[in-house]
Amino acid sequence: MLTASGICHSYGERKVLDRVSLTVGAGERVAIVGENGAGKTTLMRICARLLAPQAGTLQIDGRVGYCPQLPGLHELLTPDEHLALFSPAMGLTRGEGVARGRELLAEFGFPPKDRRAQIRHLSGGCQQKLNLTLALLGGARLLLLDEPYQGFDHGSYMNFWDHVKRWSNQGIGVIVVTHMLADLDLVDRVVALTPVLAEEPR
Amino acid sequence: MSDVATATAGRRSLARRHWAEHVLLPAEMAGRELTRRRTALGLLTLLPLAFYAASTSNSDYAPVLGGIAMAFSVSGAAIFCVMSSRRLDSRLVLAGYRPRELMIGRLLLLESLGAVLALVFSGVIVLGSHPADPGELIAGVFLVTLCAVPFGLAVGALVPSELESVLILIGVVGVQLTLSSDDPIAKFLPFWGAQRLLDQATGGAGATTWPIIVAFLYAAGLFVIACWAVNRRYANVR
Repeated sequence: MLTASGICHSYGERKVLDRVSLTVGAGERVAIVGENGAGKTTLMRICARLLAPQAGTLQIDGRVGYCPQLPGLHELLTPDEHLALFSPAMGLTRGEGVARGRELLAEFGFPPKDRRAQIRHLSGGCQQKLNLTLALLGGARLLLLDEPYQGFDHGSYMNFWDHVKRWSNQGIGVIVVTHMLADLDLVDRVVALTPVLAEEPR
Repeated sequence: MSDVATATAGRRSLARRHWAEHVLLPAEMAGRELTRRRTALGLLTLLPLAFYAASTSNSDYAPVLGGIAMAFSVSGAAIFCVMSSRRLDSRLVLAGYRPRELMIGRLLLLESLGAVLALVFSGVIVLGSHPADPGELIAGVFLVTLCAVPFGLAVGALVPSELESVLILIGVVGVQLTLSSDDPIAKFLPFWGAQRLLDQATGGAGATTWPIIVAFLYAAGLFVIACWAVNRRYANVR
């Protein structure tokens, strides 16, 4: 489903990924862990093909759903308008997309009254639920979730992991970036990234 | 109806649906977002009016100054539209939009809003300045809008941050305002065609066809650059 090998990436002179390899099969749940600056988000952006690796190869089969760490939603649009905007790109009509998105939002415990509120008036947790819903809307075969539960309350957080298990049972590959050690029991495999050490000048 | 005619009608229907969903829907959402920024829209309207009002003592130059100053508003709105959408655009492209579809949607939206602004503003200038040739003045103001949208889209797509974009906007429009349309350098700036018509509307003489052609060429060229820049940005996704 996803095979990345020998991935390298630097920002200027700062190397963040050095020959990283990652394989995720259908229905597999993989956690990516690592301290700040270890390159977790960079690796996710490369896997989502939003960033070209400076070296290495990447092969992905099927549609990818990407939930970035920062939602980047339009502040003055409503959740329903976001769902409408994403629908045609995913092969859904506007009506189908909004209806499917509302179902997903309801599954994550998103309050129905907030569906027509502008994003700037929503809590961080509700924005994150919409962020996650947009990643799921098109029936992805591989989910790339970069700390997807920021702002979630405890119930929503537990509910999220129930969903991960369900997606996995449906054959969807799931990669979750996490800092929470308790999550590591809920995945099949853990990939630890370590910051690339700069070479000491001689 | 023959099978061929039915198949052709089906393809046309699909193409219309694709166009409506992939171009007009992003344009609609960008329009909804922009029209909810009432304060910003008010300022965008007032800015060229302020330039015009402040320069009415120089009756020949006021329409030129006010007309070209409209580029600050329209290009500014286009830059904002592109830059504020960058983060979400990457996800839209990943989901299946083509980058140029998003740009065409924005072009249509902003040209429409710009045309409304141009209509109001050219009315104000015609009534306030009584130009020798009102037709040329109206054409000049509309040409400002025509070029200002793709100029803003291109700057927003090419330049990494808002500060640099705004400085480029101020620089290009500011230099255009300070130069006469007879100056050779002015001819290499995007609003020369509009500036030329505005000059001629207030008493100058000259051909109208060439400035209009130049303005259309600039608009087309700048839009191609804007599409190239966003295609390049998301080349890895597609």
